[in-house]
Amino acid sequence: MSRSKKESSTISMGEAMATPSRKSITDAPDRIEESGGVQPGAMQYDYTNFYFGAGEDAFALLGPFDDWWQEVKPAGYYMYELPLQTAPGTRVDVEDTKTGGIREGLINFASYNYLGLSYRPEVKEAIKEAADVYGGGASGSPILSGTTELHRRFAEEVAAFKNKEAALIFPTGYSANVGTIAGLMRSGDLIVADQYAHASVVDGMILSKATSKFFRHNRADDLERKLKGFDGKKLVIIEGVYSMDGDVPPLGEIVEVCRKYGARLMIDEAHSAFVYGENGRGVVEDQGFEDEVDIHLGTFSKSLGGQGGYVAGSSALVNYLRGFSRSRFFSCALSPVVVAGLRKALELAVAEPELRAKLWDNVAYMQKLLADAQIPIGDSTSQVIPIMVRDDARIFAIGEEIFREGIFINPVKYPAVGKHKSRFRMSISASHTREDLEQGAAIFQRVLQRYGICP
Amino acid sequence: MPVGSYAFRTGVSAFFEMATEDAVAALPRHLQPIEVRHQRSVLSVTAFLFDESEVGPYTELMLSVVVPPMVGSWLHHAKAGFYPFLAATSSEEARRRREERFHFPYLDEDIDAQFIETGDRLTVRAWVGGDPLLDLSVTQYSWESTTHVLQGFMMNGEERLRTTLQISGEYTMHENERGSINLYPHPLIKDVFRNEMPSSPFREHWFKNGREVFHSLEAF
Repeated sequence: MSRSKKESSTISMGEAMATPSRKSITDAPDRIEESGGVQPGAMQYDYTNFYFGAGEDAFALLGPFDDWWQEVKPAGYYMYELPLQTAPGTRVDVEDTKTGGIREGLINFASYNYLGLSYRPEVKEAIKEAADVYGGGASGSPILSGTTELHRRFAEEVAAFKNKEAALIFPTGYSANVGTIAGLMRSGDLIVADQYAHASVVDGMILSKATSKFFRHNRADDLERKLKGFDGKKLVIIEGVYSMDGDVPPLGEIVEVCRKYGARLMIDEAHSAFVYGENGRGVVEDQGFEDEVDIHLGTFSKSLGGQGGYVAGSSALVNYLRGFSRSRFFSCALSPVVVAGLRKALELAVAEPELRAKLWDNVAYMQKLLADAQIPIGDSTSQVIPIMVRDDARIFAIGEEIFREGIFINPVKYPAVGKHKSRFRMSISASHTREDLEQGAAIFQRVLQRYGICP
Repeated sequence: MPVGSYAFRTGVSAFFEMATEDAVAALPRHLQPIEVRHQRSVLSVTAFLFDESEVGPYTELMLSVVVPPMVGSWLHHAKAGFYPFLAATSSEEARRRREERFHFPYLDEDIDAQFIETGDRLTVRAWVGGDPLLDLSVTQYSWESTTHVLQGFMMNGEERLRTTLQISGEYTMHENERGSINLYPHPLIKDVFRNEMPSSPFREHWFKNGREVFHSLEAF
């Protein structure tokens, strides 16, 4: 097709464009000086603008970042790392670092305590007893002096719970992913992960030096495109519940593709272990693919309300990772005090299936309240419910109002999620009462109505 | 000091993931691509319809690799850097002047382009010598006024140069993956992308009724 250069033009077809009207309420107008100096609207910048910088001084970005931070912190970024004054229960007291006051009795939708186990009296008692015996810390790497009898038993209990031959305990969920992926895969291998996989998965991929690819979220057809034609070792990584969207993977489709191309499959059940499935063994149990997944990973900081991570699978896998997971054996072992609390929390999670029933009842109730209020929650089907705001410029202003009206929840914006995919990530707990949920939904509705996000 | 000012009626910029291997191949040795994911860099495809410049109206198309900006003070902090590895215009005079001033790697041939608005979508179609080069579509989100401070990098022979540029105007941007690109197997671009290129941008920018201001070039 040939066209004349005279034809370069704008052609309006169909309806006219929406009139540009709304301006950011938090952004000051930009001032451009003839000298070339620029005073940017600080809130139009974000962390990514300070990640890369060319030059010779490793500290060169510190100054510009600090100047930016001083401007944006009071404008909204202060809402991160607000110090709690209480346990992460369903009601919390939180320091408002903007005013210096303590906001008391906020409904807590921020903490991961899905089964409410972190502050159970039995758990606290187990922790106290372990502190009397073992003191505060493990004082050593798990492969040297840091493994106590508590660690050994807990690893066996986790393996038994997961119906696997063995399990390995890590100091954090982050280190479990990094240590497992980098411990197993090498340069020249291929790792394909869901595009929404956690940062610890991505960091493990980088450390492994394997060729890394990402498939479109939950799309088995795209996974197949990424695997096709590669000869060599292949590992596919997915999550049980995606932490920012609260949706689950189509395990059957993904297992089928992995089998077709001879890829091993690893699942990170950080947000789904202990809550999904009849026995709490995760999305793999819930969807019936426990034996088809090769590597089962999870954390203890979410549903068990403690700290740490695990990998479970065959004895051969665990034995290999014991020797090659650098993030584990170059870290101090989990504190025995924490392990004692985790053992009790796991015991309670197994003994009290009614906790999971209560959680799912609460999830269904909250989802109904939000649906009735026409508050958008994306594709969530889990206890992680994103309240979709989709307005990067106003997410902090909305967050401040929600905070001051009585809810503790964190705003999530770019780069943690995509541009204009900003949201509040709500975590539902079995411990929430109907009153907590009703009050919380009413506050969200009231504030979001003011911003035109729900009717 | 501003050395070039160009008013535009409409402009698009779409970011695509590209293999870092391809990005590195398009860059001079002193520049490195930024990575949005491990081993995935960023290709920027821009098309602007300038309706006011020293040579009158014309269209410009640029393919760039996104690179780290040189760090300055907060007052001059650029959001991103761009290294254009292919530029083309519909006007020989515009090309000659911009090439002399900014040393962008212009194609020595006029392009033809159409900017087509349909509802909330803008589609740019470009041809070279009658052969289709690319079709690029972006979509709108909410509109606001903005100024982007960016850095452009270029080479004049062996000399390494950079400039600060500001793009001001009405602006909409999102990452909802509603846009698309179709790169035709044109000799100009077929060898650039040896690895798989996605068919939709991960970020879509659309500008209206604004101005692009270039500041003087600095050697570094």
